[in-house]
Amino acid sequence: MSLHSNHPYHLVEKSPWPLIASVSALMMVAGLVKWFHDFKVSLFLFGVVSILLVSAQWWRDTVREAAFQGLHTLKVAQGMRWGMVLFIVSELLFFFSFFWAYFHSSLSPTSEIGAQWPPASINGFNPFQIPLLNTAILLASGVTVTWAHHAILENEHSQSVQGLLATVLLGGYFTFLQAFEYSESAFSIGDSVYGATFFVATGFHGLHVIIGSTFLCVNLWRLVQGHFSSAHHNGVEAAIWYWHFVDVVWLFLYVSIYWWGY
Amino acid sequence: MSSAESQLPWTAPFDARYPNMNQTKHCYKSYIDFHRCQKLRGEDYEPCQYFKKTYTSLCPNEWVSKWDTQRAEGTYPCKI
Amino acid sequence: MVPTWSSFGLQNSASPSMEQLTFFHDFTMVVITLITVTVGLNMFLICSCLLTNRLLLQEQVVEIVWTVIPVFILLSIALPSLKALYLLDDPFTPSLTIKAVGHQWYWSYEYSDFPGIEFDSYMLPESDSLSIARLLETDNSLIVPSFSQIRVLITGSDVIHSWAVPSLGVKADAVPGRLNQVMLYVNRSGVFYGQCSEICGANHSFMPIKLEAVPMAYFIKWALKSS
Repeated sequence: MSLHSNHPYHLVEKSPWPLIASVSALMMVAGLVKWFHDFKVSLFLFGVVSILLVSAQWWRDTVREAAFQGLHTLKVAQGMRWGMVLFIVSELLFFFSFFWAYFHSSLSPTSEIGAQWPPASINGFNPFQIPLLNTAILLASGVTVTWAHHAILENEHSQSVQGLLATVLLGGYFTFLQAFEYSESAFSIGDSVYGATFFVATGFHGLHVIIGSTFLCVNLWRLVQGHFSSAHHNGVEAAIWYWHFVDVVWLFLYVSIYWWGY
Repeated sequence: MSSAESQLPWTAPFDARYPNMNQTKHCYKSYIDFHRCQKLRGEDYEPCQYFKKTYTSLCPNEWVSKWDTQRAEGTYPCKI
Repeated sequence: MVPTWSSFGLQNSASPSMEQLTFFHDFTMVVITLITVTVGLNMFLICSCLLTNRLLLQEQVVEIVWTVIPVFILLSIALPSLKALYLLDDPFTPSLTIKAVGHQWYWSYEYSDFPGIEFDSYMLPESDSLSIARLLETDNSLIVPSFSQIRVLITGSDVIHSWAVPSLGVKADAVPGRLNQVMLYVNRSGVFYGQCSEICGANHSFMPIKLEAVPMAYFIKWALKSS
């Protein structure tokens, strides 16, 4: 790839990852359906591992193109940012559908669940115990991630590392508490529409916390490696946006599912 | 006309608590009211029959038999 | 009331609700016709006129006039529409309750005010000698007394269906787990037909509703015999 082109765009090279990612996604979904129909879970796990491997390598390539080959010009970076914005909007719509399902079932509860919400004999979590702590943790992580962001902008390297590290640790703590709370649960995903909407919504949020933490972790490593400047740090900025999105979704989950629905 | 209508048996009247098209709760609550009334006042207490006639008027038979089974099995989703 | 070939309008009304709906329909058609003729005439004139005003850049007065007048036209449609809507929803004290349950693919009816009247209503095949109206006849019809206030409670047992009788001006979804109430008052004796109005599967088109309104004395006789 020549560095002297007459346009600002990044013409990507041949890559095996789109094809392998597609095949892995197919295996994952097919494996999931298979698993749901009481067959072995192996195909699903194979698909997941395959997806993880492809993701790691695809993004490794992207990092190399950005940090070492200098292919992410201002124009390309702008496109990347728009892509991230649209991705986050689509994720918001994804969660919107879970909230829709939740409010559909909770605002007019059917007689099958005792015409009440939470349904008869469902003991939900007390919102002022672990869920409130989790809310505080995520809000605090929002503060630390902003600290890290400003430190990057001000060229304060050690502070940015500290801020990002604190965010990652808070994310990990949140995940640990959620896992603990799940293990203590008095109801399962099979317990009426309450269990279904609760675990699907909070479960997908938990998955997004894990993804966001991993995203931040990778960017912490890149920060330590010196990939970022105060002027050009798209990767960490995308991770920060994503983290804020996860944070906002939690606030809605907390207020409507844990608190209002208690 | 009213003399002809008087030959009709009793049916559940309009209830101001359920003014809307959706009458699900009208049926559901009458069913519960009847069984609570019976539990409270005994099976021979005549006024409880009002609730029974109401839910018989309103609830689909399939629902009633399902709820009766659930009550017998102890899985009915409401405390009587 | 059998719907017949090449009938453009609504079926004749047989209930106060349908009278309201027919009135509203006719009124709206008048408005639509006036608008269509006016707009059509103007379009024709614009297209056929060879003159062009090169200096015409704006005309505030006509802009205001053709914005404000439609507001009043729309209001004059909205108000009768709301009136009809609220009249349809108006609950009265019923003298009889009937339950209509949608199944894949037939309706079943319960008259729980009488002991044990409960039956299924399947479509009659075309070959049946009793089949006059194609795809609309049933083996057991819903029998109701005319000139009485009837509450119909509609629900589904498997998927969403919809219970509708056009000439009586009633239509309500039959949703599993929910009871929808419509108020029925048939103001003449006769046979009225309707069809399932929510796509519900393969035989959605073959689960008609046939309603027979009979004088009260005959209804009582029928009910006592059936219960």
